[in-house]
Amino acid sequence: MSILEALRLALDVLWANRLRSFLTILGNVVAVGSVVAVVAIIDGLNRYVSEQILSTGSHTFTITKFGFDTDYDSYLKMLRRRDLTLDDAAALSRQMRNALAVVPIVSRRETLKRGREEASGAVVVGVGEGVEELRTLDIVAGRHLTREDLQGRAAVAVIGEQVREKLFDPVDPIGQELRVGRHRLLVVGLLKPRGSVLGQSQDNVVLVPVTTYAKYYGMRDNLEINIRATSAETMAEAQEEAELLMKLRRGLNPWDEPDFNVFTSEMLYTLYQNLTKGIFGLTVGIVAISLLVGGIVIMNIMFVSVTERTREIGIRRAVGARRGHVLTQFLSEAVLLSLLGGLIGVILGSATAIVLHAATPLPATIRPWSIVIGLLLASSVGLFFGIYPAMRASRLVPVEALRYET
Amino acid sequence: MVDDGVLIELRGIWRIYRVGQEEVHALAGVDLEIRKNEFVAIMGPSGSGKSTLMNLIGCLDTPTSGSYHLNGRPVEGLADDELARIRNLEIGFVFQTFNLLPRADVLHNVDLPLVYAGVPRAERKIRAMRALEQVGLTEQWRRRPNELSGGQRQRVAIARALVTDPSLILADEPTGNLDSKTGEEILGVFDRIHRDGNSVILVTHDEGIARHAHRVIRILDGKIASDAPVPRSGGRDG
Repeated sequence: MSILEALRLALDVLWANRLRSFLTILGNVVAVGSVVAVVAIIDGLNRYVSEQILSTGSHTFTITKFGFDTDYDSYLKMLRRRDLTLDDAAALSRQMRNALAVVPIVSRRETLKRGREEASGAVVVGVGEGVEELRTLDIVAGRHLTREDLQGRAAVAVIGEQVREKLFDPVDPIGQELRVGRHRLLVVGLLKPRGSVLGQSQDNVVLVPVTTYAKYYGMRDNLEINIRATSAETMAEAQEEAELLMKLRRGLNPWDEPDFNVFTSEMLYTLYQNLTKGIFGLTVGIVAISLLVGGIVIMNIMFVSVTERTREIGIRRAVGARRGHVLTQFLSEAVLLSLLGGLIGVILGSATAIVLHAATPLPATIRPWSIVIGLLLASSVGLFFGIYPAMRASRLVPVEALRYET
Repeated sequence: MVDDGVLIELRGIWRIYRVGQEEVHALAGVDLEIRKNEFVAIMGPSGSGKSTLMNLIGCLDTPTSGSYHLNGRPVEGLADDELARIRNLEIGFVFQTFNLLPRADVLHNVDLPLVYAGVPRAERKIRAMRALEQVGLTEQWRRRPNELSGGQRQRVAIARALVTDPSLILADEPTGNLDSKTGEEILGVFDRIHRDGNSVILVTHDEGIARHAHRVIRILDGKIASDAPVPRSGGRDG
């Protein structure tokens, strides 16, 4: 009897008891489904986050007022810290030897207007000189902000694609005006579309000189100072240098705790990775438990099946089935059963990932390796928990099996 | 007639079961020789050891001591897989309760031994249909056992026994679950099989059925009590 025939036979039996078969494999469905879905979502997030966070540029770091490990007490403490200022940024820019660019950035949400058109929730970003060293900000029409704009606190703006669409379409925006509150800005440039991050459009944005921003809003919004080191090698030095200079500016001793925060995109990424590792660990736990429970259910059902079919086993043995044939038959059933569970799990897991991807900003990429691992896990469970019932079936004594009354 | 060499040779066969502390001597020193193309009835009351003898002859069981040659080859010391091979190729069983697979159709029930013999699918179908032809059931090949009458079921079982073209057809009370008319028909099938050159052993406790055979072996308390040819009462065997 070939493996193919054993499988066909197994399929017949499982189909004949389809409800029972289905209930038996739920554990595997859950286990494999979670593997595929969680891997898809975490992997999607990973790629996304690494692209987005790390696209802010390598060997850059940021000085901010607030850190991100905040319980309430440390939050109150940080609230009492001094604000960062444009002067801080200017001083660092002058004094640092290991910095390629020191760029103050500050932002807030505003509603933009032009005539009757409105773009709400737009991010107005005040940027300092050299911002294009930090972020990919390609201009598709007009020009970038210039040093003259900064020095003159010019009322000029570079707008994102979404702002153009909402306020200007179909007019060419360059040379047109838009209003932010009571201020008027002259559009001088248009940014290349950048898409969205976790559902947040990156194109609903207006860049203005940071000095202009300060003139309009003061510096109460949290200014951050972005610094790009001259190279990867000088990154650590640049961080120390910036920290020391900031402490001196604030009258702290070099050995004092800083009253500001320095973090790198790598730190952010590491934090994020630890988080996903946690989620992943949790998934591994769920999967392990589902597989264990699923496996025990399968073993149990296989025992029931062996008992129910004792007579059949006797008949098969009488007409010439060897122990190996009976073993193969029941093992095929167990493996096929849990493999089917795995397949349903793959389908449900993928569907979950796809639906989540479509319905929420969560990115998801279904990884073929997670499907392979899921199916391997499922069939190993079938093999492991199926072997004992199958061995018991194969060891039945033919004469007694034939006499068995159901 | 076909070659009539020795088919079965039993020498000093004992089969002892252990039930708790007690030993049950199901067979206590049986010597027996059956030649090819014989039609033999093994008779005895229940508990006489006739079923044990049938299981031993059918290689479903092995003797505690003694020697058993089937077709001149020793069988008593063979491994389980070897016994399975002999059951598969040399022996065709027919049981009182038919013992068909309820979920499988007639064709698959009949070709089951061929599956284990490793015969390819296409050839299996041809040979199974030929066996069904021998019992007159070709039209029902797609039916399931529960759609058939008792007599038809037993014919399917006989077809299954014939399909590997075995050396021996071994039937255990084959009419026990049938009414007398159907029983007669089934016995007629055995007569025909025998005339076609097969060796047939019938195990029964019914004298009327035993009369179909040409030789009756009576078992009592695990021993052969008598062994005699059946006087022919007419031209039945031509």
